[in-house]
Amino acid sequence: MKYCRSFLSLILIAIPALFWSFSVHGQSSDPIKVGANIGNVPWEFQDTNGDYVGFEIELVNEIGKRLGREVDIMNVPFNGLFAATQSGRIDMAISSIAITETRLQSASFAQPYYDSDQSLTVRVGNGISSLEDLRGQIIAVDTGATGDMWATENQEKYGFSEIRRYEGLAPAMLDLTIGRIQGYISDIPAMQYYAKDKPGLQVAERIKTGGSYSIMMGKNTPLSTQVNDVISTLKQEGFINALHEKWFGAPAEATTSTVKVVDMPGVRDGLILNFVETFLNTQVFLDTYPMLIMGLMTTIQLGVLSIFSGLVLGLILALARLYASPAVKFVVKAYIDIFRSIPLLVLLIVIFYALPFVGLSLSPFYAAATALTVVSGAYTAEIFRAGIEAIPKGQFEASEALGLGYRHMMSDIILPQAIKIVIPPLTNNCINVIKDTALASVVAMPDLLKQATQAQAVAANPTPLIAAAVIYVIFLLPLVLWVSRLENKFKVGDR
Amino acid sequence: MTALIKLENVTKHYGNFQALKDVNLDVEEGEVVCVIGPSGSGKSTMIRCINLLEQYDNTGIITVDGIQVQKGKNLKNVRAEVGMVFQNFNLFPHLSILKNVMLAPMRIRGISKEDAKKRALELLNKVGIGEQADKFPAQLSGGQQQRVAIARALAMEPKVLLFDEPTSALDPEMVGEVLEVIQALAHSGVTMIVVTHEMGFARQVANRVIFMDEGQIVEQGSPSDIFDNPQEIRTQNFLKAVLNH
Ligand SMILES: Nc1ncnc2c1ncn2[C@@H]1O[C@H](COP(=O)(O)OP(=O)(O)OP(=O)(O)O)[C@@H](O)[C@H]1O
Ligand SMILES: [Mg+2]
Repeated sequence: MKYCRSFLSLILIAIPALFWSFSVHGQSSDPIKVGANIGNVPWEFQDTNGDYVGFEIELVNEIGKRLGREVDIMNVPFNGLFAATQSGRIDMAISSIAITETRLQSASFAQPYYDSDQSLTVRVGNGISSLEDLRGQIIAVDTGATGDMWATENQEKYGFSEIRRYEGLAPAMLDLTIGRIQGYISDIPAMQYYAKDKPGLQVAERIKTGGSYSIMMGKNTPLSTQVNDVISTLKQEGFINALHEKWFGAPAEATTSTVKVVDMPGVRDGLILNFVETFLNTQVFLDTYPMLIMGLMTTIQLGVLSIFSGLVLGLILALARLYASPAVKFVVKAYIDIFRSIPLLVLLIVIFYALPFVGLSLSPFYAAATALTVVSGAYTAEIFRAGIEAIPKGQFEASEALGLGYRHMMSDIILPQAIKIVIPPLTNNCINVIKDTALASVVAMPDLLKQATQAQAVAANPTPLIAAAVIYVIFLLPLVLWVSRLENKFKVGDR
Repeated sequence: MTALIKLENVTKHYGNFQALKDVNLDVEEGEVVCVIGPSGSGKSTMIRCINLLEQYDNTGIITVDGIQVQKGKNLKNVRAEVGMVFQNFNLFPHLSILKNVMLAPMRIRGISKEDAKKRALELLNKVGIGEQADKFPAQLSGGQQQRVAIARALAMEPKVLLFDEPTSALDPEMVGEVLEVIQALAHSGVTMIVVTHEMGFARQVANRVIFMDEGQIVEQGSPSDIFDNPQEIRTQNFLKAVLNH
């Protein structure tokens, strides 16, 4: 568990953003850097040749042409778009991003070009055909997207038992098919497009949210007004409506923002956000810290459970590896080697998404706890084994000669001495387990990182990510310091 | 009356190497037997078979107080009756001196903490380190540690004590204090088998001296038989070598 991808990704989003935010924003002759969550059909996705295609891809290419600049499109996950835009890492973001009041506080949008609603997608034949049927059921949304915001606001009204937050369509659809979730709330055009050729799925209900999509850009950048003007022109020329006809099979109604030129969404206050307001925004922090605290609780519960069960498992494995029959030793060694080499992320996905096909469907929490325990157990077993093997043979012989049975020899003599040796590596392992809990967000577990990601998407501001990083440090730093103190202490004296 | 310890046709192989060859030995209750012989002759192997720290070949039989020494339920009982003192003391470094001595009686004999403590202090006084009861092994000298190890073995009130070169790891000036303790025990009637290179000590305390070579008991007899009038050439050569150097 040397690496920890999700924790890293948090840093990767946040830290480079700090630097980019100081760099000079793109000159008008440079290519326009566009971030897009590729895979968001029919807006931006890859065709069979691997080329980026879709409604918004064609739109930004045309905008670039009109502005006389090249367009450089890069694949950025939806939740990374906000920090990327504000840091100047990209000049504009597309991905059917809804214009909201909160987002306008941190970013600028061009005038909308698509009016959307949300939709409820269900599995055909499981008795659920409307929002009313979802009382007490688990529903799914995309982390931080419009559907997430709507579902959170309306959770009480409709009595959803739980809202699971996913990174993208595919895993959510898999869980809907398995029956782990009963409904999926997301943008209607994407769902209609997706369900078109899947008879098992059905868009059951339109949810009127009155959202409209546009291109998101850095707050008050000159580019945002230029793009807005180009969009006016393209609407007047009928270019955008032609895109609508191409990608949705029919032209838009004349009253919609796809056809009508409308005002650029008002900028909420006239200042360009500076570094502090972008990354250390007090208001955003106050608004989102309850979410972070909930995430922290989940992270702690998951961490403590996994660490504890991993310790028990590891101790059993270590003893089996040292003292069991050759056959058992072999199996245990194989277990330890396999689970130390398998990436935790892969294991987590297998446990969560593959086991249901053999009839074992674990909740996100227990799936994550299982994966963490299984891997942590393998590491702990090796730590314990090394600890026990470091005890001189004479200690075993003296215990045996006194007539102490195996149990007392272990509990009174060997393990108490081994513990001292293994505490530093075990604590390191604990730190890794806690950091690895962040990987649980791939199975829609609302841990600290997941909550922070969601919060930054809702607020369109990376402050929650910074706050989460600080929380991780606050929790892990004492452990790290404790380990190095112990290591020093054991180095100096024998006792 | 059968002997307290009985070895019949005991052999021991490490792979192809034969460390013990058909050893027969009876030790009576109250007897003090010293085992001498060159390095690698199988002295340690023989006494370690008696409490099954080494598994002897299944062609032989060892009994302690009539109970056969073999794997299984009875092994704990045998080991409780056989105390052992090692060359390297093997005290438990994470426990105080007192706890080192108290542990086994509490765990195995099931006696109360108070009784165990009382008894442990008596024994520590007897070996002359009652003052140090609360210290840890690393804080004591080698001679003191070995005396604690003897007290620890005695705490189980064993029928027999096995010593495997109890003074070989000690600085010369500490050898005496440990030998004195063992000698006092010998005079008090405890049955003992002592593997030793201290010829003077063997001559003084042993009822019987056994000379081993190449995994066999070559010769045995009273101290004066062995030291003053050895019959076997191998014994003579060995004694010449150790006494002249
Ligand atoms: N675990 C083992 N594996 C293989 N051979 C061993 C093992 N233990 C002892 N031997 C061999 O058995 C023989 C007898 O060893 P043992 O330790 O009993 O000798 P010793 O008489 O006690 O010698 P010393 O005076 O050096 O302690 C030696 O040749 C030794 O190399
Ligand atoms: Mg030896």
